Amino acid sequence: MIKRYFSLLLIVLISLRLSAQVWVVPAENELRKSPFAFDDASRKAGSEIYNASCKSCHGEPGKNNPIPLVPPPPDFASVKMQSNSDGALQFKVTAGRGPMPSFKNTLSATDVWRVISYARSFNDKYVQEVSKSSEAGGASVQNVKIQISWLKDKNQVQASLSAMKDKVNQPVAGAEVKLFAKRYFGNLLIDEARTTDALGNALFNFPADLPGDSAGHVQLIARLTNEAIFGEAKADSVLIIGVPTYRPPLNEQRAMWNVVSKTPIWLLLAYTIAVLGAWGFIIYVFLQIRAIFLAGSKKDPDSAE
Amino acid sequence: MASEVNTGFLNDKKLDSIAADILRPVGITQGFIVWMGFLGISLLACIYAYYLQWDKGLIVTGLRDYTSWGMYIANFVFFVATSLVGMLISSVLGLIGFKWVKPIARIAEIIAVAFAAIAGLVIVSDMGRPERLPYVFLYGRIQSPIIWDVTVVTTYLVISALLYFLPLIPDLAISKGRMGHTPKWLQKTYEVLSVNWIHTPQQYKILLKAVRIMLILIIPTAFAIHTVTSWLFAVTLRPGWDSSIFGPYFLTGAFVAGSAAVVIVMYFVRTNYKLDKYLTLHHFDMMGKLLVLVSIVYLYFNINEYLVPGFKMKTAEAIHLKELFVGDYAMMFWSVQLLGLIIPIILLLFKVFRKPLSMLVISIIMLIAAWFKRFIIVVPTQDHPFLPKQHVPDAWMVYHPTIVESAITIGTIILAVIIITILVKFFPVIPIWEVAEEQHETDSKTKE
Ligand code: HEC
Repeated sequence: MIKRYFSLLLIVLISLRLSAQVWVVPAENELRKSPFAFDDASRKAGSEIYNASCKSCHGEPGKNNPIPLVPPPPDFASVKMQSNSDGALQFKVTAGRGPMPSFKNTLSATDVWRVISYARSFNDKYVQEVSKSSEAGGASVQNVKIQISWLKDKNQVQASLSAMKDKVNQPVAGAEVKLFAKRYFGNLLIDEARTTDALGNALFNFPADLPGDSAGHVQLIARLTNEAIFGEAKADSVLIIGVPTYRPPLNEQRAMWNVVSKTPIWLLLAYTIAVLGAWGFIIYVFLQIRAIFLAGSKKDPDSAE
Repeated sequence: MASEVNTGFLNDKKLDSIAADILRPVGITQGFIVWMGFLGISLLACIYAYYLQWDKGLIVTGLRDYTSWGMYIANFVFFVATSLVGMLISSVLGLIGFKWVKPIARIAEIIAVAFAAIAGLVIVSDMGRPERLPYVFLYGRIQSPIIWDVTVVTTYLVISALLYFLPLIPDLAISKGRMGHTPKWLQKTYEVLSVNWIHTPQQYKILLKAVRIMLILIIPTAFAIHTVTSWLFAVTLRPGWDSSIFGPYFLTGAFVAGSAAVVIVMYFVRTNYKLDKYLTLHHFDMMGKLLVLVSIVYLYFNINEYLVPGFKMKTAEAIHLKELFVGDYAMMFWSVQLLGLIIPIILLLFKVFRKPLSMLVISIIMLIAAWFKRFIIVVPTQDHPFLPKQHVPDAWMVYHPTIVESAITIGTIILAVIIITILVKFFPVIPIWEVAEEQHETDSKTKE
């Protein structure tokens, strides 16, 4: 009885594990396609992103040398990777799973497509299909500029969007903006996505307790969600709005493993005292030998022998 | 060592005969030339081996990534260990007031100086880039036990040399007029080294104070030198090294090796120089008892060092211990324990074995076992790293010392023997004035 119960449990567990290994991609994502055609420029940009953000885990494409994670990060040139549709790749990179981080906040949609463009350069059979809706021409509003500023009295960050239209700089209304604070590992979403008002401004509530660097600097990144319409506009600015935080580097303090100038005080004292003590006596004894010598030369040597 | 010297012995007739006995072998003799010639030629072969290593680097040795401390470091530990006997005999036993150590003390000090001096060289033999030796002093970190070791070996060498030299000063002065049979340069050396010694009570007073300071200072220094040497191993997490009793374990082992070395030198001095009047059967008997004592203490530490982890058999520790008890190193391990400790202890408990010749044989075996014991401590641990050995050539997996390496190691031992020979041959090997003073005192006491 118990045996049967266990084998049932085992089967359930195994099937759970199996299903966990299949990475289900929603149907609409599966069919999604890049808004632009992959070219040398996109592949080059993609390879840079790959080297900075993916290579540490996935290894060099074609060499099959990922770091040993469970499940292992597939090689970019592998069949496993290449059998994904463009849309599936885009979904997986954006969403992440388990040890594979989500790049939703770290990479812009365009950058994700660039990495995919780079990934496809390892597949000779690949023929790209570009998304129909954007095939005609790029974004409908071009050269959007974003300015980030700090509204001190309201504790809010404001992103102001403008674009040149008919040779005049005009606010961009109705654009959805996301604000991020750059952290050590990836970007932290601040507040939620906001849409610009008629003046082209979007306001974000800024938390009062966000740690900055030792002077309170926080690097903010504003990005537009709908790159199909507004292009890949992005702003990067550093404001002094964080809580000044000083994290001493680990090697700042005195420690056994640190450089000699960072020797622990107790050790420095013990060593110095021991060495000076011992050598003090040794030098004293050398002086005594000198004293013996002097005592011998004072007297007439003939009388002693 | 008494705090005051009765200089009456200087006028005693006995001084002449004692000095004559002890100075007779001093100087260059035919036997000396033959012996030094033999040592010199053997050394040349070893120097050639070192030239190969200097030229090609450590690749000529069996040392690779896994076993990077091989024969050389085992040899280093052996040298440091053997040199410690100077402290045991002249200092510990001498300060307690054992009179019988007086004629042996200088032999112990000679061994201390020779082995401590070469210990530094042995470390250099383990360096692939010996020309970078100054970097140790330029860039060394006080936090590293290696720096402590360098410091303390140097200090110990200087103190041992002083403990050899200071009691020698009156002897040099006594010998000055009695050296007609020796070469001029040697007489000149005596003249310079005797630093104007004219046997005034004031000079004796200064000398005794200086000696006493050094005798006391050498105790903590000797403890430090071998404890720090043990820490080079014990501060790691590796099975076989990760032990809290490594300091006393090394220290007590050192006394075994050193006492055996003293017996060996004693034997040759006694028979070659016909000094049986000074190195008597009583001295051998006492050294035999001392050997039993230090061996039992060392055996006790061995039992602790192997039985306690052997009882628990933690995973990594168990691999190491099995290798020693029943594995590849079992032959060496049990030979060392039996021949180097257990059998000598049993034999030396009997008076018949505490005779010069049998003690010589036992001591030679013990000293050889002591060398292999250091090998057992240093090498097998590295054969079993915590992470599996992978992706390396087969030759890297197990350590096999090469001939070049062995020759260099033998060379260091020859160097130590050369130093001992020179000191024993060119200077009074038995403290003339101390023996004379002792006899003078017993004589005057019996007369009263
Ligand atoms: C921290 C390590 C890590 C980093 C960094 C990383 N990945 Fe991954 N990646 C993984 C792991 C692990 C998996 C397997 C996850 C699974 O199957 O659950 C994976 C899986 C994937 C997959 C899915 C493959 C498939 O079909 O099973 C894609 C696509 C992918 N990574 C792309 C990227 C890209 C592009 C980057 C850089 C922008 C990146 N990864 C950075 C660890 C990483």
